[in-house]
Amino acid sequence: MRIACVLIPHLPVAVERQRDPALRSRPVVIGETPDQRKAVLDCAPEAEAQGVRVGMPLRQALALCREALFLPPHPSLYRDVFESVLEALEGFSPEVEESALGRAYLNVAGLAPHYEGELDMGEQMIRSLRDATAMVASAGIAEGKFVAWAAAVTSALGQVCTVPAAKEAEFLHPLDVSLLPAAPDTLRRLELYGLHIMGDLAALPVGPLQAQFGAEGKRLWELALGTDKEPLHPRLREELLVERLRFPSPAISVEALVVACRRLLVRLHWRLHGRAARRMRLRALLWGGRSWEKPVTFHEAVVDWERMLFIAKSVLANTTLPAPVEELAIELSGITEERGRQATLFAEKAGLKRQLGETVRQLRARWGRPLVSRVVEVEPWSRLPERRHALIDYEP
Amino acid sequence: MKTLQPLKQPRPVAVETGESGEPVAVVLSGRRLAVAQVQDVWRIDDEWWREEVSRLYYRLVLEDDRPVTVYHDLASHHWFKQDYD
Repeated sequence: MRIACVLIPHLPVAVERQRDPALRSRPVVIGETPDQRKAVLDCAPEAEAQGVRVGMPLRQALALCREALFLPPHPSLYRDVFESVLEALEGFSPEVEESALGRAYLNVAGLAPHYEGELDMGEQMIRSLRDATAMVASAGIAEGKFVAWAAAVTSALGQVCTVPAAKEAEFLHPLDVSLLPAAPDTLRRLELYGLHIMGDLAALPVGPLQAQFGAEGKRLWELALGTDKEPLHPRLREELLVERLRFPSPAISVEALVVACRRLLVRLHWRLHGRAARRMRLRALLWGGRSWEKPVTFHEAVVDWERMLFIAKSVLANTTLPAPVEELAIELSGITEERGRQATLFAEKAGLKRQLGETVRQLRARWGRPLVSRVVEVEPWSRLPERRHALIDYEP
Repeated sequence: MKTLQPLKQPRPVAVETGESGEPVAVVLSGRRLAVAQVQDVWRIDDEWWREEVSRLYYRLVLEDDRPVTVYHDLASHHWFKQDYD
């Protein structure tokens, strides 16, 4: 299947530079100030050139790059920008996967005839992102996610690279093995074995790699040959209800925030039309341009706005906001039609089943994928053990 | 989308064989364990109508008294460990 990978490297830095053009070409590091025991969320290429890496302690980043400019993160702002990016990409294909902040995959199978080829399609994607969000991306188009990503990551910003079908191994051959999605220890061992480029890995038979690295060895060998069986996971377009309230002057007290929550939840209650919500997200724009957010997954789908307020109150009471609040927003998602519950005479057993169902639904809402499975018989008569039983997602 | 994940999937394993081709040691979690006893040997030839399967299974007891089932894939000549009951 033809996949396009659209990449906006260092999206948080790009957003900050958009807000303040004076930051351009300065070694920006995002993640609070170095006196805090936190990690680098993102850094500019100028800081990266001096050894700063995402995930390293801020103190270490300062030691490596003395002139680094440390900025507090604005996660909700980055998410909003990336959401606009995804919406723009949905204009090209209905199947868009949100892989990570700044990285999206699209199913573009059969779309090229609508453009002057795949290169033109990729260029139009980049252009539309620039128009909609002012973000500059690179893009790669190939068979499978890994090759598309490799094509995007090796392209310059604003450029498109297409890899024709059956030319994957040829394209990947000269690329460094460090591009493979493997654990740092595995990459180090590959280097020790003298396997520096993907062509080195692809030239080996799979057996020895499997013997050394187990299942991961086989996967890396397949990827080096350009075979990526991982399917695209398109994001689900779900209904999202949002209400915002701007304070006349920045609010400091929890009481003021609770009053605001009450007003927002009453408005949301009318928009729910009697339906229930599974998730709530509290978002705040803070004084000084910072932002804060707290997602909450309800144990059961909630219809009652007073119950939601009770939960919001307990979240706010247990949180110390780093600055006064200028704007508060509440998002409700996971909207369901569940309104009431039918009671039963055999309360105990039915209650347990309902509880299990609710827990499974809550886990799915929290993690976005099914986590509970049940065993089913497939070919119980087979002499091959792997044919007899399988796990299937548990549907309550 | 519902997906089926087969249980008891075979996993590649490093096996040392003797002159007769029977396993003499198995490497588990990076540790070489000698075979103390071969309890059973059986062959499965199946699924000739799709990708043919030809396996020679060994039920072993290792030097630390651990029972383990391995098979030699006679098509690819690789060794695999698999739960078999």
